[in-house]
Amino acid sequence: MMSMLTQHIRKAGIALIASACATFGLAAPTHADSKYAGKKVVFVPIAMGISLTEGWARRMQEHAEINGYSFEVRDAAFNTGAMAELLTKVISEKPDVLVVHNPTVQLLARQIKQAEADGIKVLQINLQSNQPSTAFVGASWQRIGREVAEDIVKECGEGSGKSGKVAIIPGGLTAADSVIMNDAAFKVFAGHKEIQVVSNQASDWEPEKARQITATVLQQHPDLCAIFGHWDVHTMGAGNAVKDAGKADSVLVYSTGGGDDAACKAVEDGIQDRIWSYDADGQGRDAGTMIDLLLQGAGTTDGSMMVVESPLKIIKAGPEFDASLCWKM
Amino acid sequence: MLERVVAVAALVLVVVFSFAIDGFATLGNLRVILTNSASLAILSCGMAAVIISRGLDLSLIAQMIAGALVFSFLVIGGTSTGISMLVALGAMLLLGVMNAWLIAYVEIPAMLATLASSMFITGLFRNTILDGGFMILLPRSNPTVAFLSGDLLPGLSVSVALMLVIFAFTWLLLTATTTGRIVQAMGDNFQAARLSGLPVRTTTIAVYVFAALTALLAGLITSSASGAVDFRTVTNGTLLFDVILVVVLGGIPLRGGRGSVRNIIVGLALIAVLRNGMTLMNFTTQTQDMLKGLILIVAIVTDNYLNPRDAETDTAGDL
Repeated sequence: MMSMLTQHIRKAGIALIASACATFGLAAPTHADSKYAGKKVVFVPIAMGISLTEGWARRMQEHAEINGYSFEVRDAAFNTGAMAELLTKVISEKPDVLVVHNPTVQLLARQIKQAEADGIKVLQINLQSNQPSTAFVGASWQRIGREVAEDIVKECGEGSGKSGKVAIIPGGLTAADSVIMNDAAFKVFAGHKEIQVVSNQASDWEPEKARQITATVLQQHPDLCAIFGHWDVHTMGAGNAVKDAGKADSVLVYSTGGGDDAACKAVEDGIQDRIWSYDADGQGRDAGTMIDLLLQGAGTTDGSMMVVESPLKIIKAGPEFDASLCWKM
Repeated sequence: MLERVVAVAALVLVVVFSFAIDGFATLGNLRVILTNSASLAILSCGMAAVIISRGLDLSLIAQMIAGALVFSFLVIGGTSTGISMLVALGAMLLLGVMNAWLIAYVEIPAMLATLASSMFITGLFRNTILDGGFMILLPRSNPTVAFLSGDLLPGLSVSVALMLVIFAFTWLLLTATTTGRIVQAMGDNFQAARLSGLPVRTTTIAVYVFAALTALLAGLITSSASGAVDFRTVTNGTLLFDVILVVVLGGIPLRGGRGSVRNIIVGLALIAVLRNGMTLMNFTTQTQDMLKGLILIVAIVTDNYLNPRDAETDTAGDL
């Protein structure tokens, strides 16, 4: 079942890239292609040193090496104040493509607008700003939020014999993914009165904060049915709190993430039960392809944002567990 | 006086939360409060000793994560638990001595010295061990990790037991040892302590090494429980603020000179109860930070009102 799903996802990815090439009338690029000569791409992530951004950078770097353009990373190191300054400096260097990983929907909107006005093509990766730009490659947070919520309703809702109590642990209250996933999930829950969100507190992406919140909420609601953590990394803390409380069999721990081997290990060890993976490795490849296309002059005719939605993989505990769904650096 | 005000405030909060919040007044919740506060309490013991000696350690959280990182990195790499612990202890000893040397021998103000060392420690350990990364995940399969995150006796977690041991040790250090008396004297009037021939430099080393060791212990407890060693606790978190909050609210003045374990327990009680209540009431972390900040301002203003400056404290100056 899961291998069929993987095949479908792979086929969809290949079809997406092929159709993009057909749409823009592009031939396969070759090394030292004059189209790429002297071109510069700069990637500004929220932070390097996590599998998500390292995985993206690795694939984008590969594309840069194949095609002969330069690729640089400017690490904001989780410092959002520094990130805005970093981006302003990068814009002054006038790269051809700027890849931005937005920490919140608002923080970098002004810089993205300015970059586009200066003729720099901005590719937003995985976390989208309120400000549209040339392109976006990433997960559909709306879809993930809706799918996770629907699964929670199936497991905890009417007829399940469970309490219907759910705790949500977003990363940050204004982070794009948290805002959109919460919105989508609450829309689903609104149609199911038996589902009760007993806690919705951000962990600031920290496992220890997620652990403390979970330990406290579990004490108040021992019949909790599910936890929806918005990032698999901070949800490790929540999962460990569930395990410590001896409730690993009764509380389902959901999360989302880039799907590296640590995610599969967490599911295998019973720390998390279901992870909606957007496959950071595949996203890195998609971003690399998008950069190639942008450097060749690709764009939509009406100037709207080009969007590549990442296919999802669902890593599940139990008999359906499939370690091959995860990737390794 | 501030200690009494805070103790009463904590008691009032307990009563109000017991009636207002479903699930607050239970034995299970008391256990959660204690377990969630264990690392904060241990760090507060280290910080209290430093502050009483008229110092300040802003690198405490960086040391906490660095120590846990050294231990975790070695354990994950297959080194035995004993050797990993010895190396981590050695690293913390060096960090404590480094801070003390900057303060006692180079005579850099404690706030500036430890602010710089916090940045140095974070950068050094991230680059050399994590290769620029921010965190590593710690497997529960390791026996030490499993032990630290487990129970010592039914109803008594290892983290809470370690907290009690550190409380006892800090109490002994501050009240029953010569070092403790010199610490109090240094905080009361540093120049007088030095001129009277007390070994203020070696005592400074002892105090900062003690703080570093409490940081290691807190780091091991936190990372074992959450399953991650995460440098964002240093760069983005509010833990350092919470530690200073506990010490100041407990009634230990930032200018040093007095304070005991009782003060730490009082400050901790207010913060732990408040944090637990706010989580149970589903307050956002931003609202929680705002309320804690407000409480700190009120505490400092109250402290200034109750302990007005006199000729002696003016001579001693601020940090």
